[in-house]
Amino acid sequence: MDDFSHRNRRCVRARAKQLGKSLMTLIILFAAFGSASCNYHEIFYSQNYSPDQPIAFSHKLHAGTHQMNCLYCHFGAEKSRHAGIPPNNVCLNCHRIVKTSSPEVQKIQQAEKDGKPIEWVRIHNLPDYALFNHSRHVSSGVTCQTCHGPVETMDKVRQVSPLSMGWCIDCHRQKGIGAPNNPSDRAPTGTDCVSCHY
Amino acid sequence: MKEKTYWQSLEEYGADRDSLAEQKGREFPENHVSESLSTTRRDFLKMLGLGFTAGALSGCEMPVQKALPYLNKPEELTPGEASYYATTCAGCEAGCGLLVKQRDGRPIKIEGNPEHPLSRGGTCAVGQATVLSIYNSARLSSPLKDGHTLDLNTLDTDVIAGLKKATAEGKEIVLLSGPLSSPSAKKLISEWQTLYPTTRHIAFAPLSVDAIREAYRLGRGKRILPSYRFDKAALTVSLDADFLGTWISPVEFARQYADARRLSGKSEMSRHIQFETGMSLTGSNADRRVPVAPSERPLVALRLLEILTKRPSKLPTLPETVERALADTAAELLSHRGRSLVVSGSHQVEEQLAVLTLNEWLGSHGKTIDLATPSLQRESNDAEFAALLSKMEKGSVGALVIWGANPVYAAKNGPAFAEAMKKVELTIRLGLTLDETARSSRYVVPTSHFLESWSDASPKVGLYAIAQPLIMPILKTRSAEESLLRFMDRRDDYDDYLKAYWQDAIFPKQRGHADFTSFWNAALQNGFWQSGETDSLPSPQTAGVAIEAPLVNAYTAGKTARDSGDLELALYSKVGLRDGTWADNPWLQELPDPVSKVTWANYAAISPNTAAARGLEHGDIVSVKTANAAISLPVFVQPGQAGNTVSIAVGYGRSCGNQAYGQNAYPLSGASSVSIEKTGERYAFATTQMHGSMEGRPILIEATLADYRNNPKSGHPEFPEPETLWTPHELPGHSWGMAIDLSSCVGCGACTIACQAENNVPVVGEDEMRRNREMHWIRIDRYYSENPENPEVAFQPMLCQHCENAPCETVCPVLATVHSSEGLNQQVYNRCVGTRYCANNCPYKVRRFNWFNYAKDEILDDSLAHMVLNPDVSVRSRGVMEKCSMCAQRIQAGKTVAKREGRDLKDGDIKMACEQSCPADAIVFGDMNDPESRVSKQMKDPRLYQVLEEIGTRPAVRYLSKVRNT
Repeated sequence: MDDFSHRNRRCVRARAKQLGKSLMTLIILFAAFGSASCNYHEIFYSQNYSPDQPIAFSHKLHAGTHQMNCLYCHFGAEKSRHAGIPPNNVCLNCHRIVKTSSPEVQKIQQAEKDGKPIEWVRIHNLPDYALFNHSRHVSSGVTCQTCHGPVETMDKVRQVSPLSMGWCIDCHRQKGIGAPNNPSDRAPTGTDCVSCHY
Repeated sequence: MKEKTYWQSLEEYGADRDSLAEQKGREFPENHVSESLSTTRRDFLKMLGLGFTAGALSGCEMPVQKALPYLNKPEELTPGEASYYATTCAGCEAGCGLLVKQRDGRPIKIEGNPEHPLSRGGTCAVGQATVLSIYNSARLSSPLKDGHTLDLNTLDTDVIAGLKKATAEGKEIVLLSGPLSSPSAKKLISEWQTLYPTTRHIAFAPLSVDAIREAYRLGRGKRILPSYRFDKAALTVSLDADFLGTWISPVEFARQYADARRLSGKSEMSRHIQFETGMSLTGSNADRRVPVAPSERPLVALRLLEILTKRPSKLPTLPETVERALADTAAELLSHRGRSLVVSGSHQVEEQLAVLTLNEWLGSHGKTIDLATPSLQRESNDAEFAALLSKMEKGSVGALVIWGANPVYAAKNGPAFAEAMKKVELTIRLGLTLDETARSSRYVVPTSHFLESWSDASPKVGLYAIAQPLIMPILKTRSAEESLLRFMDRRDDYDDYLKAYWQDAIFPKQRGHADFTSFWNAALQNGFWQSGETDSLPSPQTAGVAIEAPLVNAYTAGKTARDSGDLELALYSKVGLRDGTWADNPWLQELPDPVSKVTWANYAAISPNTAAARGLEHGDIVSVKTANAAISLPVFVQPGQAGNTVSIAVGYGRSCGNQAYGQNAYPLSGASSVSIEKTGERYAFATTQMHGSMEGRPILIEATLADYRNNPKSGHPEFPEPETLWTPHELPGHSWGMAIDLSSCVGCGACTIACQAENNVPVVGEDEMRRNREMHWIRIDRYYSENPENPEVAFQPMLCQHCENAPCETVCPVLATVHSSEGLNQQVYNRCVGTRYCANNCPYKVRRFNWFNYAKDEILDDSLAHMVLNPDVSVRSRGVMEKCSMCAQRIQAGKTVAKREGRDLKDGDIKMACEQSCPADAIVFGDMNDPESRVSKQMKDPRLYQVLEEIGTRPAVRYLSKVRNT
């Protein structure tokens, strides 16, 4: 798996720091990016970002092998703006009984004892000025994998899509969302700026 | 029809355009370089280069963000989704019904409860703003004894011992509250009185309506405050009662008033005559307004009685203009017998008795005045409060518990009250902040905000309302009632007490529910329950008090004072600050006064002629003196103010925060006249009244009722259809539009605060207001016309007009403002580079520029206050233009719900924040492509017009012209 970690990114930054701080270096920098054939989306949109999590939770095991529905844990996805990270008690619904000897599962039990939630590292991160609504997309029949990729095959989750504006708009354009008289769309959003920015 | 000239201020009145432009200064004053920006242009460019590089580099490393889930998610809460709970407003004592929006456990927005029989979905500016006061960083978080913190249990033990001691010594224990309409709290007080038998409960209200209750006690044998029905009155005569702004129950009255004057589908509207001293919000809406001095006003009621009963006059003759108005008013009252209503805002029992007699003669009782379900709002007892001071001074009071009221600030002898509190052994203040009364009290208990506490209310006979908390107390506080329980050495929670009370006292009154739980749940969900019970009707009786003599004496005293060069004093409360309870709320301080458009200050309002005669100019600071008190205030030359009078607002000068705004005028109360002396200093008002001007164009269109009946389009100027260079936008889906009825709008400003709360609109402060930098997305323009001594007034809410051919869109170099496929003008903050070309090109002057990073600015930064921010709306940063988004987040939320439910959007699914809060129901939003929508119907009204139609901007926000019943 192509793992693009913090370390790699720090390395780019350290290299660039040496280049100085003038307008000229900016041009050089862009040239350097070009020649080094860096992935633009990785640098500016964190595509393929796959950090270590406090608990080595495997989506492959839960969603893949055990065929658990995404909405069992991410229940907000069909009724709220946020899909949400499952609260501790949702994990414990099973893990009070299942695999209680695993050191990873014990972290959840410890969290309950301490009264402190697990601090997961956020992977899919939109800027504050872009307001995305999960429930809107889920109720329109967009699958989770359309944006998040084959999560059920990942041991460690990675950001598959760039989540850039162009990427969003591409989909909206291709599907004709908000196009006049589209009978399948009863509350169209289209590609207006205020669909996401307000 | 004679062409009217409109003006916004006296400077504009009669001035020519060039000199006016000079006076007003530039629209975007550039001479104020911000203090924090001491950079030259060259430095700026250098920094820009550096910024680019640094920006690109640091962009390589995104900060690691954590996502923290709930440990145990509360079942009723979905992160990211709002829920609404019904409760009762305690912003004032009217007790309006609210639906409070809660997001992720925090109350962030107040809406009116559409089902509530009093407020019917409306709210006022104060009610809207109370949500911010939860997150006030000046709130008390720990109990105090003599200014030092102590443990709450120790305090309770101390207090109980003190109360027992006072009881044993036979000294009086006084519970001093604000007006209480809570039946459970009244029950609690009666239980307290059983435990501590020497207790007396006194309710204190600074601007009370006690005189009306007293008049009904004398004239009808029952101490009640009747329910006024403005919706049933074809003619309303008000004697200085600001019933649309501040009097008794303004939201309820504004809806009734607007309903009686609404023209859609009919050509009848009620008529309104106002006799008053200062230009109030209510007076500015009147069809005929008669300025009278405070001492003349009581004679108005007496003279009307004389004329109507055809008695020979024994009263002094009033000025000719007033006499003429009296004769006309009497004739109108006579022709509207049984359909008319006379109300008075007076604090004099004699005047209220005269008004009662007048209403009796007119047959208003039972028709426009409801005595069967009287009001229980604003119940106070002035006489007992007045007697309290001398009792305290004599030392016969052993303990004093104060909540709700703030007597050290708001009593006319506040300092004396504070002094007398020292003679009381045990003084306890239950309050939100360390206010004036708290600083004079021995013990201070931090008290919860009403949105953090359980309570109930009964604003009218037969109406019971519940107030439920929206959030756990965010600081270590408890409600006042909870404190009373602890002081009674009881451990039970107030919510249990409340529930038990409802089970014992209210549940037996109903038939619909078999068990209490289902009744309680229904009442809790609705926020109220109506029992249908009525009071027995009191019959008229002879008052047995002389009415005329004291009023005539007061008139003579007032006239003598005026003749000797003094000014008659009228104290009033403002729509924003009311009695000063919420003076530390910046939203309310920054809400422009509906009439004067002044923010952050009070002032001495004087008529133009009086000012000229005394050589006073607008902004001169004068010393206002009575026999016992003196304060310095700037002169505000107010068109429409009665001659030789001065109006001063109370509620200002609170010294609870870091800085007091305005001056406390309560020490002047009790005086009928003041002397005024120029100090030589000047004050610059932070006013919005000259921001934006009509420049002689037909922005406001109005007609008289007679003209309207002849021609519904009366007053509308005719233009040739404007040519357009642009191809029209195709709006195949929705076409959002808004219609604002200028005949209904009363100008109260509730929409401004509702919008501020909904859209994270920042507060800029007094100094920035002086520089035309207010940020309100919706403002109320106030226009005067005709005679400056008594002008006609009109209000016009002004917001982004969402023009089809928007001038802002064509000048934006970065396409940060573009048209949406649903007819809205979108502002994209993250594209905006802040050229301000759009604001310059906007003919409606509705665009607002962020001169500072208001949310993060050092001065305004307050992480607690950030809790009130709406997470569905971006917080704008410095250098970005913003304006009304037509509540884009509400449109999106409406669509999301429709999509989730798999249906089309219905009319009424989406309501704008301004529309929702409007007590007069003057604003209608909807889809203009749906022929059945309310807005489409409004758009067919012949009164419909577009502001500046002739320039061809084709706004989606349109107005229905104002009709006056003159």
